[in-house]
Amino acid sequence: MDEKHSCVTLSVQPSRGLVDEKFVILVQNSFPSSLLTIYAHHQCEDGNSWHAFAHYTSDAAGAVNVSEDCSMGGTYSGVEAMGLLWSLKPVPGSKPGLRMRKKNVQAPMVVTISVYSSHLTEGFGDQVPLAGVEVERWYMAPGVRRIPVTEDGLTATLFLPSGPGPFPGLLDLWGGGGQLVEYRAALLASHGIASMALDYLTCKYTMETGKIVEQDYFEMAYKFLQKHPKVLGSRIAMLGLSLGTSVILKMAVHSQIMKLRCAVCVSGSHVQPMDGFLKEMLDYFSKNCGNTRFTKDNEVVWRDLLLPIPIDLSLKVDVGKLQCPLMLIVGEDDQNWCAYESAMDMKGMMERAGNSHLLTLLSYPNAGHLMEPPYMPHARVSLFRDMQSRQKMMVLWGGQTLEHSRAQEDAWRKLLVFLRKNLYSGVKSGSSSLSNL
Amino acid sequence: MFKLCARCLVGDPSVESNILLKGTLVIPVCRAHREDIMFRTHVSVKAIGRLSGFIKMKPDFTTWRKLASLQRLTGKVRWKSNTRPAPVLTAAPVRALVDEQVGIRGHFLPPRCPVTLHARMHSDEGDLWESFAHYNADERGTFSLTCDPSVGGSYLGCEPMGLFWSMQPATGEREGLRLRKKNVESPYVVHISLLEGHVSLPASEGQRSELAAVTAERWYIAPGVKRIEINQNGLVGTLFIPPGPGPFPAMLDLWGMVGGLQEYRSSLLASRGYASFSLAYFGHRDLPGPLNRINVGDSYFKAAFLLLQDHPQVVSDRVGILGLSFGCYLTLRIPTKTGVKPSCLVGINGAVGSTMSLFSLDSRTKEFDSSQELRNFDDEGCVILKDAFLPANIPPDSFVKVEKLDCPLMYVVGEDDLCCASIENADLIEERLRSAGKSHLFTRLSYPGAGHLIEPPYSPCARASMWSVKPKKLTMMWGGHPAPHAAAQEDAWKKILDFLEKNLRT
Repeated sequence: MDEKHSCVTLSVQPSRGLVDEKFVILVQNSFPSSLLTIYAHHQCEDGNSWHAFAHYTSDAAGAVNVSEDCSMGGTYSGVEAMGLLWSLKPVPGSKPGLRMRKKNVQAPMVVTISVYSSHLTEGFGDQVPLAGVEVERWYMAPGVRRIPVTEDGLTATLFLPSGPGPFPGLLDLWGGGGQLVEYRAALLASHGIASMALDYLTCKYTMETGKIVEQDYFEMAYKFLQKHPKVLGSRIAMLGLSLGTSVILKMAVHSQIMKLRCAVCVSGSHVQPMDGFLKEMLDYFSKNCGNTRFTKDNEVVWRDLLLPIPIDLSLKVDVGKLQCPLMLIVGEDDQNWCAYESAMDMKGMMERAGNSHLLTLLSYPNAGHLMEPPYMPHARVSLFRDMQSRQKMMVLWGGQTLEHSRAQEDAWRKLLVFLRKNLYSGVKSGSSSLSNL
Repeated sequence: MFKLCARCLVGDPSVESNILLKGTLVIPVCRAHREDIMFRTHVSVKAIGRLSGFIKMKPDFTTWRKLASLQRLTGKVRWKSNTRPAPVLTAAPVRALVDEQVGIRGHFLPPRCPVTLHARMHSDEGDLWESFAHYNADERGTFSLTCDPSVGGSYLGCEPMGLFWSMQPATGEREGLRLRKKNVESPYVVHISLLEGHVSLPASEGQRSELAAVTAERWYIAPGVKRIEINQNGLVGTLFIPPGPGPFPAMLDLWGMVGGLQEYRSSLLASRGYASFSLAYFGHRDLPGPLNRINVGDSYFKAAFLLLQDHPQVVSDRVGILGLSFGCYLTLRIPTKTGVKPSCLVGINGAVGSTMSLFSLDSRTKEFDSSQELRNFDDEGCVILKDAFLPANIPPDSFVKVEKLDCPLMYVVGEDDLCCASIENADLIEERLRSAGKSHLFTRLSYPGAGHLIEPPYSPCARASMWSVKPKKLTMMWGGHPAPHAAAQEDAWKKILDFLEKNLRT
């Protein structure tokens, strides 16, 4: 065995980080100016394998610093400190349409990072790397408590930050795929916000009665947070993606019970029949399903379902009546919802109504529909089970990986600052950004 | 009842904006000035009197007492309100290796607010250890342990890791404790609270005045490090292999006469890329013979070194030895007596010879018996062994022939070592190496104020700990004062790792 190889060291700091924390990958003691490939491998909970790799040349001291040096090729190129995570792709031979989503947030995501000699693009399993380390990525900080919620007919999970509280609260809604998706709420709790992930499409009520929930289900969730001893009742926000946005906008403007401190709407629209609620919304989408398009690979494009944006106020939420700060995050390459057009329309409505000072609009060219917490792999297309037809289909979400990943990172940071500013407002200190974000 | 805002005497107070104190007293404030009153730490009694209209009445004693104490209470109002969020305390990284620095910060506090940080954790034995420190938020209501000084508490000055290394057993815990991680596969879980004002331990208001908290994990092992128990061919110990394909440079890790098997330094070395073997040689039930004797000889240590050298995941010509206390003596002895060729040696606070002999077929073994060995204890049962290890007091025929050493040696000295005469032993080793023309092999690190137990960084300094309970209660004095000892541990560990890097990797 070449003794020199044992000198190569690889370090990743921190080796145990939160999923939205940056790490620094350092290779040291290799030959000066040697060709190296840094490789990341992750096996998901569902058994699928993902990998990413990048080509570097070590400097005169035999070192590579991924945060400062340029990748010359691989699953990403350029200077990308976190590229090995966001450019993760299913390994060759995997089923198509995979999407990486953490189910068990109480255990970390484990990624093996290795460094190989020369510039490899395949056959990583056959070669022995020069060095390798294991890295843990956590959705939950130590001390965060996970509390399943089944009272009041809810199907939810509450995450409480470490500490005595009380904490500002947040209701976290996902989209048309249903299920109880916990990881974003867990991460927000790790940042000091008591967050409750709410299942509203496949919740116990709907599974048992076959009926779609009404407004009172969400109001019940809000009230649950409001009366919780560890939550500040007057400082509750809502965060939603996709269909979740539709719910939030309706509630923010029309609910008598909910007094939101602020709202964040990601990749969604205000277009929905004002007469009725969720069931009527879903029926409206079905009615417009004739606008569904297909790519040449038979991927479903649903962005036209709500286009053109109606002028009729009975078909969209009048955001001119909004009284709380609103952050809209949209990807301009969203192929699933007409989020960008909706955002422009909402902006116009608010400008005419005189409440546009409440609006923060983040619009990202070449970003797609699935704007998630940062550094997670981008899925441009994935297998999606439609709730209505119960069929699985390949859906086009959109986005170009590099710009989408940059957008996720930027949007998440701004989202956290927005939430902190609005949920902790009134503090004379004024400082609302945390530099460790 | 109260018609005007106490602050501006103009505004209209409402039920929501009024400030409720202890359920009985209401300070009327208008919405505009609610926040303002909330932040005042002092409100004059006159102003308070005006608020409650009492200035026109002669208050009864109970009410008057409430007024007088209102000034102190007002500062607490903001925390007991149910509409104000608590300040935030953060630590990054929140899961770190024990030798990594953690940045602790506070945010969303009132400007220049005095606060106390209270850190506590349980040892593996269940004892509570804790520390506290006083800080003042800046005009933006933030503070950071990386750049702000502690103005009181368990440590003073700007000490980013002070909360960890200044920990002491909580009052009421067993005496003479020393913090040592037994189970390296689980972290220490440290709960750090932010309390209002400058308070001492135990916090006078208890948990009620906890404003915020963060939980940090301190790990002795990185993800992917493999832990392998060794109990073969008579060898007893634990081997830690770093993650990755290897092969790795390696270290034989030796502790002192407290005995048993201590894994935590090895697991840390493996987390830094060195295969590391913690070896038990005394006071372990899996070793032969009575527990209070060293029943192994030079061949045992040779076998341990060879186990490492011959291991498929170890680079055979990159194996070093690290030892503290008696382990340091062994570190010097092994290469000179057994013929193994380590690439480098690190010795911490050890002697060049010993009154204890190892087991060998042609000499009597000696019992490690407190009454014989431990001269120099005072009336309170505190033992200071230092003089016993002065070169002048050690039988010269037990001296290690350091002039035979052929590899770099780093020798770490705690100048306040009360257990071993480290300075004098270092001098002797240095002199002998110089006479042999081998000065270039010798590096001395010397730390004023540091004691015997120079361990991986940020762990508390045990100036003394319980040595034995029977037949006599004895406390062993190790020496060292918290702040200089902490500085020594931090600096020495960094320099040891650099020394290993230089000698085992390049």
